[in-house]
Amino acid sequence: MRSECVLGAASDSGQEAPRDTWFLQGKASRRFLIKGSVAGGAVYLVYDQELLGPSDKSQAALQKAGEVVPPAMYQFSQYVCQQTGLQIPQLPAPPKIYFPIRDSWNAGIMTVMSALSVAPSKAREYSKEGWEYVKARTK
Amino acid sequence: MSESELGRKWDRCLADAVVKIGTGFGLGIVFSLTFFKRRMWPLAFGSGMGLGMAYSNCQHDFQAPYLLHGKYVKEQEQ
Repeated sequence: MRSECVLGAASDSGQEAPRDTWFLQGKASRRFLIKGSVAGGAVYLVYDQELLGPSDKSQAALQKAGEVVPPAMYQFSQYVCQQTGLQIPQLPAPPKIYFPIRDSWNAGIMTVMSALSVAPSKAREYSKEGWEYVKARTK
Repeated sequence: MSESELGRKWDRCLADAVVKIGTGFGLGIVFSLTFFKRRMWPLAFGSGMGLGMAYSNCQHDFQAPYLLHGKYVKEQEQ
């Protein structure tokens, strides 16, 4: 006797779906809602802060983050110290390194260009000196 | 364009690139963890999109003084 799988056979016979499938469907939908909320919140945050907008807005957002994040990190570390009782040693201030990239780049470009501009005359001069040296040695 | 203005534009471009690439990377992380089973391609996609948007903004910013907005004028019949 051949047994066939017929869809809807359980509902046709008046039996309800097993309880665990309903529970799993509810769990999956809850999980999807939580994930959707997190992703939607992230997208809304990006839209609200205009992080993907014009460049001046992005620059302002970066500047604001640079002003807000270090005090927030410090307060968070203080809160952790108070709650856990740990004493985090205060690190010395990082050395302020002043390296003007623009000036260095400009100076480098000018040096390279001036070297390239005198390269033919210098090459002629050095080759002439070398030739004179070889002539003097072979005499 | 003066050198100080050029320097300001470069600074704005770099800040914009950092923010956009970071935002794209962050959104890629969120979507990778939530919907795409911790795959790597959303991170690469988001970072690439951010880089492209930053490049486009920089290009528009640097070319702005030289853009000529013309318009078609009908020839008047003599």
